[in-house]
Amino acid sequence: INSKKECQVDLEFTTEHYNPEEGEERLGKCSAQVFFKNEKPRPTINVTCMRFMEKSKRQQEDYLLYKHMKQLKDPLDVISIPDSHGHIDPSLRPIWDLAFLGSSYVMWEKTTQFLHYYMAQLSSVKQWKTDEDAIDFDYTVLLHEFSTQEIIPCRIHLVWHPSKPLKVKYHCQGPQAPEEASGIEGSAAAPTMGLTNY
Amino acid sequence: MQGARAGGWGPGLPAVDRRTLLVCSFILAAALGQMNFTGDQVLRILAQNEMQLSLLRDLEGLTPQKVDFWRGPARPSLPVDMRVPFSELKDVKDYLESHGLAYSVMIKDIQVLLDQEREAMAKSRRLERSTSSFSYSSYHTLEEIYSWIDSFVTEHADLVSKIQIGHSFENRPILVLKFSTGGSERQAIWIDTGIHSREWITHATGIWTAKQIVSDYGKDYILTSLLNTMDIFLEIVSNPDGFAFTHSMNRLWRKNKSNQPGIACIGVDLNRNWRSGFGGNGSKDNPCSETYHGPYPHSEPEVSAVANFITAHGNIKALISIHSYSQMLMYPYGHSLEPISNQEEMYNLAKRAVQALYEVHGIKYLYGSISTTLYVASGITVDWAYDSGIKYSFSFELRDTGRYGFLLPATQIIPTAQETWMAIRTILKHTLRHPY
Repeated sequence: INSKKECQVDLEFTTEHYNPEEGEERLGKCSAQVFFKNEKPRPTINVTCMRFMEKSKRQQEDYLLYKHMKQLKDPLDVISIPDSHGHIDPSLRPIWDLAFLGSSYVMWEKTTQFLHYYMAQLSSVKQWKTDEDAIDFDYTVLLHEFSTQEIIPCRIHLVWHPSKPLKVKYHCQGPQAPEEASGIEGSAAAPTMGLTNY
Repeated sequence: MQGARAGGWGPGLPAVDRRTLLVCSFILAAALGQMNFTGDQVLRILAQNEMQLSLLRDLEGLTPQKVDFWRGPARPSLPVDMRVPFSELKDVKDYLESHGLAYSVMIKDIQVLLDQEREAMAKSRRLERSTSSFSYSSYHTLEEIYSWIDSFVTEHADLVSKIQIGHSFENRPILVLKFSTGGSERQAIWIDTGIHSREWITHATGIWTAKQIVSDYGKDYILTSLLNTMDIFLEIVSNPDGFAFTHSMNRLWRKNKSNQPGIACIGVDLNRNWRSGFGGNGSKDNPCSETYHGPYPHSEPEVSAVANFITAHGNIKALISIHSYSQMLMYPYGHSLEPISNQEEMYNLAKRAVQALYEVHGIKYLYGSISTTLYVASGITVDWAYDSGIKYSFSFELRDTGRYGFLLPATQIIPTAQETWMAIRTILKHTLRHPY
């Protein structure tokens, strides 16, 4: 590997249920190779896992989640999950989880060997449609970028049905140049104005 | 004849309650800026008979309205209370006098009363009666924290005092707690939290740690030995303006709130403003950036206050600067990959501290120098501290590792503070045992 232009990271990790229950065993051991080329994002990833959940069981769980989400009442008036105090209403958790799913795709697309991301907050829900077959979810998240420490607002539109591949479209706000800034306080603050209840 | 009257008050309600109710609604109206009651008075009239009562009722019927009954004319021998606007006072008093209606002035100026009540309400909301009613497992506002500091210092005056070391850009006081058993110019430990305002878990940990120090003194041999010969300084809200902003407008605000004329973006990253490798990699000279280092080292009042205090003190032996998140314990340098001279000692100390932390709740921390563990960052607190001769300079990144990030649930405050304390205690023990 040409270390000037390429970078490989070898990982070993274990997986578990996203929302593990008491006494549940860790699901599986995985190893992965993450390959960054030319300092570009969207690294290639090779993952192998042992003792992973059986495919049929996975599908079953997906369908359960899907059905549960279809029953959720419209969260359009909800903003900020978690709230300032890190609290997530249990009834809103599936929405946060699904938002994270979409965000993880966006984050992978942006990750380089120098920049990585976390989903800081689901800041607003523009649309949550479950009347048709799939779940149609249009929302904004705030991504926290390491090592610049910037908060990047991303508008994400995802369409999810358990038996089909996830569809994600997104647009993230670019960095603010000194000349571009208007009089609004706080560079990354504009889309986060309604963030707190205080 | 009793009938329901618009706005009328039956004779059943005690005067005090009614008055309070009305005053409260006036406060609300006044608070909304809708009405001003300056000079308005409340008069109390004792009507002798039905005729006098009906004279009063006549007043009520006038348009435009000249009086406002707080306790309307009901029966003779029951007082009638009425609010008279300032502009109508003379007319109404003339009317009463000319008809032989005796009255007294119950409230000379309603606005004064309203102002006092509003102040009292705000004050009691702000102040906790004592620190025992303060919740250590919740996040608090700046006012609540500053109020807690005052209560805390009062309750533990034998050990703790409050020092103001400066003020912020927006003129808020910058406060430090001093833990001391006496002596003068003793060697000391410095701990700061909240330099990045969105890292709420750090202020919460700082508060809990303060309580821990006073309760452990006399019980824990390490802390007791330390405080018997050294002082501890604890700065809980190192960035008060930023912190207030995280409550009012932007929960994810990181920097301070300084602005320079002609520059559209606000705020300097206080952890890039120190005079050590200033302006290097890992900081930006773009004012809109989250890691903007500011125009020059120590340009920010929040930084210069601390730097000047520490320099003037001259005897700080360990400095611990607490951030979140990532679960790391690190030592200098941030601005370069070059190892510090006592790197091995620091590595081993960090290792022991992280082990002590792990034993509390099983949380794993990474450790090492900042540049090799986290990222290259220039102009940071601990680099400056180390270069100023403070050998044991450490930086914490508390929980978690990204799941909640800055929005760490309040339920994790106490566990985080408990485990962090064990790491801090390890560092304190080493500092105590290795004087220099």
